[in-house]
Amino acid sequence: MDIKDLIALGDKLLYIDEPKFRQIVELLEQMGDHPDIQQTIAVIRPRMVELRVHRRPTMKRLFCDPFEDLFETFGKNDPLPLSVIERALMNSLWPVVEAQIGRPKLKAYHGALQDGPQRDNLAEAFWVEAASVVAALASNTEAGRFDDALDLRLNPDRVRAIADIAMIMSIAAEIRDLKAVLSPKPVSKLHKDHLDGIRDLGRRVARARPDALKIFILLAASRLSNPSALLGGLHDMDFGQKPTERAKLFMELTDTVVGQIEDRSRSLKATPDAQADRLAVADLAVDLIASLDATRNAMELSRNKAFDQRLKEVRGSIHEMVRSQILDNADGGIVGALTAMNGGVNDRAQILQAENQARALRKCASIADSLGLRGELKTVTQKATTSLTEQARKSLGGGATAGGSRTGYTAIRMIELLSGPAEANKLMDDILNGGRR
Amino acid sequence: MRSLTNFAPSTFEDRGAAVAFTTPVLAQTRVRKDSRDQLEVLIPNLSEGRGIYVVPWKSLPLAFPMTVHDRMLHDLIAKSEGCSPDDIRKAVLEAARCGLAGPHAVEAAEAALGDDEEQRLLINYQLIVEALKSAGLESTDILRAGLASAQGQKLTRDLMSKAAHKLGMEPTELFSRIAELAGYLESIGLSSSPKPARLRRLMRDLNGFRDSMTEWATGNVSEAAPIGGFCAEVAEHTVNHARNVMTQLDQSVASFETLLRQWDTKRLLVRKAATRLSWLLDGWEFLIVLWSDAVTRSRHEQDMAVHDIFRVIPLLPKDEARADQVLAAEKLLQSNRRSVRAYVDWRSGQLDVDLVMRIETIKGRAA
Repeated sequence: MDIKDLIALGDKLLYIDEPKFRQIVELLEQMGDHPDIQQTIAVIRPRMVELRVHRRPTMKRLFCDPFEDLFETFGKNDPLPLSVIERALMNSLWPVVEAQIGRPKLKAYHGALQDGPQRDNLAEAFWVEAASVVAALASNTEAGRFDDALDLRLNPDRVRAIADIAMIMSIAAEIRDLKAVLSPKPVSKLHKDHLDGIRDLGRRVARARPDALKIFILLAASRLSNPSALLGGLHDMDFGQKPTERAKLFMELTDTVVGQIEDRSRSLKATPDAQADRLAVADLAVDLIASLDATRNAMELSRNKAFDQRLKEVRGSIHEMVRSQILDNADGGIVGALTAMNGGVNDRAQILQAENQARALRKCASIADSLGLRGELKTVTQKATTSLTEQARKSLGGGATAGGSRTGYTAIRMIELLSGPAEANKLMDDILNGGRR
Repeated sequence: MRSLTNFAPSTFEDRGAAVAFTTPVLAQTRVRKDSRDQLEVLIPNLSEGRGIYVVPWKSLPLAFPMTVHDRMLHDLIAKSEGCSPDDIRKAVLEAARCGLAGPHAVEAAEAALGDDEEQRLLINYQLIVEALKSAGLESTDILRAGLASAQGQKLTRDLMSKAAHKLGMEPTELFSRIAELAGYLESIGLSSSPKPARLRRLMRDLNGFRDSMTEWATGNVSEAAPIGGFCAEVAEHTVNHARNVMTQLDQSVASFETLLRQWDTKRLLVRKAATRLSWLLDGWEFLIVLWSDAVTRSRHEQDMAVHDIFRVIPLLPKDEARADQVLAAEKLLQSNRRSVRAYVDWRSGQLDVDLVMRIETIKGRAA
């Protein structure tokens, strides 16, 4: 197949069958680093991530290996790294590194791409050399300026990212070991062996490059499903620094974590969409409260009140989000779907939406107390349950086989999603068997 | 409670038929009849412990909190007379149609019933064609007139009477034999069928499952990899057995004239093979969809899915398999201990809403 034909396919590649997709990825890889190919790969990358397509090892991939966990994520459920590096920046940076090291010298490192005893040593030597190139580049960057070598305008984020990459490359060997400790990604719960591994490697970093310790911790956090969970473990972790340095590092990390929680809570506030998926909002709220609680517990352990006000504000915005996007008119939405069904309209999308509303309300029960919304949630749930019970009695009162029984069963299902199976089963027994089991 | 090895069923009836419950701890558990002909349910690896809990069917709602859908399914199975895979499927589709497992399950159940109906018509027509062919008669006129039209039906009756005469039997006898055969082959279909029937499709999907699981387990360093390898092996054995039975069935139907002439002996063979096939493939549908859903998810979720599949994998009974799969599963379980999976919220005992939702989604695709 010609390169032009392949590129012309564009996002159609997202929908072709899996074996063909894998073949095409292989073809694209063999075609080299042409900008059009890079663009096509960028389009199909989410599917490559989903299918875990095994990529051919290249020097560019080896270069990215230490900091790949900080790349921007695709799926909305993937944990966002605490410090993000753009892929576009890396794509501009690699040709510069490649040119500075020189192709003949790079060839000598090719052994790092193959299995064997030589691999680790060659990879480490390559990272050291790449680190010095990126560090030299980082020392000449200035925000706001257009960088000719990178062919990019440098904003403060990009300047920070280049400095981060230089720092990460200088501790690449420790990062490789860290990835082995925190595997497979994302780690959902931190166990003692994880914490011991982070501590031992952190000590190595603190001895060799104390200034790289923060980015090392951020990289560790980016391998967790809830990055803020690391804060709780960090409080007791001794990297061998002075107490003042340790406190400073902890404060910096907390600042980053709280900043991210603030961003996430703001992102939903910025798009007040009336049709927002209430279940997704509930999931996010539960997730944010977990991060918030983890951060607050870590703060309490360290008796630190510096972030109290910011955490209070975040809690306030989650409260508002849950109230306006989940609780508001939830009972109307759920009962409305049933009424439409009773009128002969069997709108699957509407029923599914109502089910999600009911699930969202139930999910909020676990965070309602901590948000001070227990009363409001109870009122909404009771209102919906009363209407649904009436509906179920009306539809199923004449027996399970009478017309409209689907509406009656759907009403019982909604009660189950809202209040749990015990209450729904009780109601069903009551209607169909007169309370007998 | 019985250990996995002590339990080791000898026959399919001992193993029981899988029930598509939506309560996570009960999903795909098996139901069978005890020595007093009472239903009982087999719940494996409760809290990841060894062995199988045997609970009388009547006591199940008292022992486990169940979803409303499951309570209805429980009642329907208790009211129905048998507990073969076909009986259980009928009850599962009836429960799903009520809407208690969500609109996707309703649609899937209705599509499955529609497909059954379509297959019933198709197999009847194909068997009539086979009968005519074996008597040396042409069937194209029936198609031209339309099978459902009055003219087409009259033509069919006439031709079948001729065929019965040529085969040396009464027309009513020929009709009743074809109807009986259609009943046996309804879920299997003929090899020449333009649209493969349910069990043929399932066998093809099981082949795909085995390949996908083998590929996943090969070179995988995860703790779940040996378990995945074992699941692929069980799928392989099942596919091989199913293929043999299917070949046997296809051969019997291919020599249709002999089948009709030696009806008394051959019908028993066909019935036995058809029943065996439905038992062999019972319980795989849900696991295949569970895995195809897991392959697009994170590695951790894939590991969890492999453990979930292993928990309820349909091991071949002792009488069927040459190798003792139960013993192999027990060994694997001993060397692969892992943390307990919470099916309910440990603080409140409430069902895990997300897990129930996931099972319902898979159920919507596997009906």
